[in-house]
Amino acid sequence: MASAPFQFAGDSESEDDNFNPAPADLSDEEDGADHDDSPAHKKDRRGSSPAADNDHDEDEDEGDGDEPVRTSKKRAREDDDEEENAADEEEEDVEADGDGDEEELEEDDEEEEDEDDEDVQHRHRRKRRKDHRAAFFDIEAEVEDEDEAEDEERDGEEIEDFIENAHPDDIAEPLHDDTRHRELDRRREIEASMDAEKQAEILKERYGKRAHARGYNDMAVVPKRLLLPSVDDPGIWAVRCKEGKERDVIFSIMRRVEERAGTKDELAITAAFERGGPNSVMKGYIYVEARRQNDILIALDGVLDVYPRTKMILVEIKDMPDLLRVTKTPTLEPGAWVRLKRPAKHAGDLAQVLDVTENGLEARVRFIPRLDYGDKSDSFSMAAPPQRRRPGMPGPRPPQRLFSEIEARKRNPRYLSGNPQTNTWTYMGEEFENGFQVKDIKIQHLEVKDVNPTLEEVTKFASGAEDGTENLDLKALAASLKDSNSSVTYVRGDVIEVYEGEQRGVVGRAVNVQGDIVTLKVTEGELAGQTIEVPNKGLRKRFRTGDHVKVIGGSRFRDEVGMVVKIVEDRVTLLTDQTNTEITVFSKDLREASDIGGQGSLGQYSLLDLVQLDPTTVGCIVKVDRESMVVLDQNGDTKQVMPSQIANKLPKRKIAVAADRNGSEIRIDDVVREYGGQQRQGKIIHIHRSFVFLHSNATTENAGVFVTRAGNVTTIAAKGGRTTANSGPDLSTMNPALKRMGPNGPTGPMQPPKSFGRDRALGQTVSIRKGGYKGLMGIVKDTTDTHARVELHGKNKIVTVPKADLVFKDKITGKTIDIYSRGGRGGFGGGGYPGGGDRMGSRTPMGAGSGERTPAWGAKSVARTPAWGRAEGSGSRTPAWGDGSRTVNPYDGSRTAYGDGNRTAYGGATSYGGSRTPAWSSSAKTPAHDGFGHGSKTPAWGLGVHAWPERLFVFARTV
Amino acid sequence: MSENYVAPAQQRWLRACMVCSIVMTYARFRDEGCPNCEEFLHLQGSPDQIDSCTSQVFEGLITLADPANSWVAKWQRLDKYVRGVYATKVSGQLPDDVRTTLEEEYRITYIPRDGSATEAD
Repeated sequence: MASAPFQFAGDSESEDDNFNPAPADLSDEEDGADHDDSPAHKKDRRGSSPAADNDHDEDEDEGDGDEPVRTSKKRAREDDDEEENAADEEEEDVEADGDGDEEELEEDDEEEEDEDDEDVQHRHRRKRRKDHRAAFFDIEAEVEDEDEAEDEERDGEEIEDFIENAHPDDIAEPLHDDTRHRELDRRREIEASMDAEKQAEILKERYGKRAHARGYNDMAVVPKRLLLPSVDDPGIWAVRCKEGKERDVIFSIMRRVEERAGTKDELAITAAFERGGPNSVMKGYIYVEARRQNDILIALDGVLDVYPRTKMILVEIKDMPDLLRVTKTPTLEPGAWVRLKRPAKHAGDLAQVLDVTENGLEARVRFIPRLDYGDKSDSFSMAAPPQRRRPGMPGPRPPQRLFSEIEARKRNPRYLSGNPQTNTWTYMGEEFENGFQVKDIKIQHLEVKDVNPTLEEVTKFASGAEDGTENLDLKALAASLKDSNSSVTYVRGDVIEVYEGEQRGVVGRAVNVQGDIVTLKVTEGELAGQTIEVPNKGLRKRFRTGDHVKVIGGSRFRDEVGMVVKIVEDRVTLLTDQTNTEITVFSKDLREASDIGGQGSLGQYSLLDLVQLDPTTVGCIVKVDRESMVVLDQNGDTKQVMPSQIANKLPKRKIAVAADRNGSEIRIDDVVREYGGQQRQGKIIHIHRSFVFLHSNATTENAGVFVTRAGNVTTIAAKGGRTTANSGPDLSTMNPALKRMGPNGPTGPMQPPKSFGRDRALGQTVSIRKGGYKGLMGIVKDTTDTHARVELHGKNKIVTVPKADLVFKDKITGKTIDIYSRGGRGGFGGGGYPGGGDRMGSRTPMGAGSGERTPAWGAKSVARTPAWGRAEGSGSRTPAWGDGSRTVNPYDGSRTAYGDGNRTAYGGATSYGGSRTPAWSSSAKTPAHDGFGHGSKTPAWGLGVHAWPERLFVFARTV
Repeated sequence: MSENYVAPAQQRWLRACMVCSIVMTYARFRDEGCPNCEEFLHLQGSPDQIDSCTSQVFEGLITLADPANSWVAKWQRLDKYVRGVYATKVSGQLPDDVRTTLEEEYRITYIPRDGSATEAD
């Protein structure tokens, strides 16, 4: 009865599981459960061959013979109805459930206890169980004879105890076929009318118990460390075999095992396995597990491609688990880069993962199609016998090009369908989206590791975006690059950190590198000073902030050099020397750098080169990457170009010349400034037609390069002190009109007259009065208007000194001379030296100024006579003073300059003397004398003398 | 008679069960189901189920001649299974619903065979 619910449930949901005995432990239960199983069951059993029942299967084969098997097979050929019929019959017994349940529970318990019991115990248990069944059969026998017969037959098949019972019934069974057919129909109806809930309930009941019974749980719980091999386990030998044939060998062994099973020369090996594969280190070997080495020799004798007679290596017990080690393959993420293996036409092409199926076995990828649209080659390929295309030789394959709807429509419109809106097309059975071919590809046809996509390949995908946006997913790119371990190399001297495994955290310096093993001399921590060996898998290079490093391999920043500014785990951020930008790379891609600045060149092109992009465009290289460079073109736009896009390199023309805004010539290396705009200042690095490329250290943008028109800059400094004024004859100084109308001409002090001809200073011996060369003597070798180049006596050197700082010396005597004073070089007075004469000259009138008093004195005394009469009224008046002096100086009439006072200096002294004498004698003396002599005027004299100082004071006050 | 032998030409159709890792051709999975896991995977006659519960990506074949006595079988947790060819590693993940069913209804602790479990040990 126990089996009733199972049968029903199995029937309603799926017939298979019911009939599928599985691992050995289940067989016990099934013994109980399968009493009234149908013949179809046997078919299944045979087919799926559960080796789980190994022990009794063998018994069965021997004792039972093949008869029941044949019967079952024959029946299996009859329609399915029969199968269900059988099941339905059991359904009748649903009411008798309770009994069965109890029994089952009991069995469950037993099984949990005895799962790993040996055969003996099994048999014992079976015998005990037989009693239960006996009772069970009794009941059932009353109800239905057929069932019992079947039970017995089945039992007989499985368990030797029932063999005898089974046979007769088995033979008799076909007689009942009609009844069972009819009953089947009935059961079906009932089944159909049953509601789903009830079915589910039954299902649950059944499954729940079964799961318990199977003991899967126990199996899962046993941790691996308890499964480690011991001396009691069979040994494992490694046997050489032909590389690439490992799988075939394994299957050959399987065949031999099965062929000889149950015969007298049954193979004694227990297992054999391979861990081959194109990249495996264990290829070329298979591993055979057996008790004795001789068993292997016998077992493998005559098997193709395996060589047990060569050397056979016994694997040590401690190494055995490693043979079966499994590492997880990293799962594909959308956006990751892979290479295609399978559509042979696309082998090796880069593809991007769009999506991955749930079980991770298939990926939807996009890649650039290789279509030729041509009916010629298409028809050729179709006409060609298929075997021509088979042998993996794709032949000349069309180049990678994005899908073109127009071409497809032109050539094969029949095969094209799609939606222009979304730009998705189907052409010749392939799907295309936005020009890319999209395909579901099994992951075994994808190369996931060591993809190493180049930037060039990747940019094809990025630029393919419809709106032209660059949608490069650098993160995915980095992930793809990270997968490639091949490029990790350590060299002696690298500072390495262990970040995985037992030695985690150890830091040391690599002493030796051999294959995958790196020998470290530990520099930090407890182990310091020791030398340890570690596999390079869990290693990474270690850097410190401030280290100067160079990017090697892997990354797209290859060959950049910079300083480490930040370290997060194995990601290192560095500031590049070349562009002063921060980039982040993996530490494995770095190495300490000794060189500075980095490459800056790509092939024949290097930084700041002028290159021709197309006939009308030139550009200056402002950044050089691993496979591309950035170019600033003449219009001020930057673009990324591949070397292949550059027409040629323009050599630097030293003689190139252009005119700046002021018309001055500008050449390469001149420093100029933009007029207006941002007033950027820079050094000219290239002149191309009317464009100048300038380089400035003030900005890092575009490596400090900017472009402007030549007519838009003004010169700041020309190379080598070449000034615009000096670059040729100074026209403004040669033009007399300009000279007069020059900015300083009319208003400023009068310019000294220009001297012409050979400068007199040339060849003169001079002494320098000022500056760093003060006091040194030399000879003037060359002069300009303002400066002289002096060859020093003391030093073999020619220095440029302002002329004003020179003192001219006589060649022989060494006395200071005035080279300009001789020979009437009038007007040279503009310079400081000759001015001395002027000043001396002016001193004379000043003296005269002070001597003014003398004539005044004289004048007064002279004036006294005429003034005498009117002295009371106008004695203090200045005009009277002047009048008086003029009157009394009749002899001085020739001197017009006299009235000018102190300006006409020279004759001052003479006039003084002159004026004095007559004034003294004529005016003062003669009349006065007369007047005094007459006596009447004598008191006047005295009065006059007395009054004089008084009047003088008055005068001084008035002035 | 050798039912588990697969000729090299047929090996391209091989698939491995994600639960027990047995390796058989697609046709056998379809016709007979998985000999160990049929009870809960129901592979027989169900291409969809075969697609989702078996994987064509596997490596490291094992011939299991005597599962009960082999250490390899014990280590791979195959000792309760039938004789046959198994894989050491089966890539791919069992669909979540199947997995849930396994663990909740059958109370089976599913051990993925794609290598993700071994790291835990």
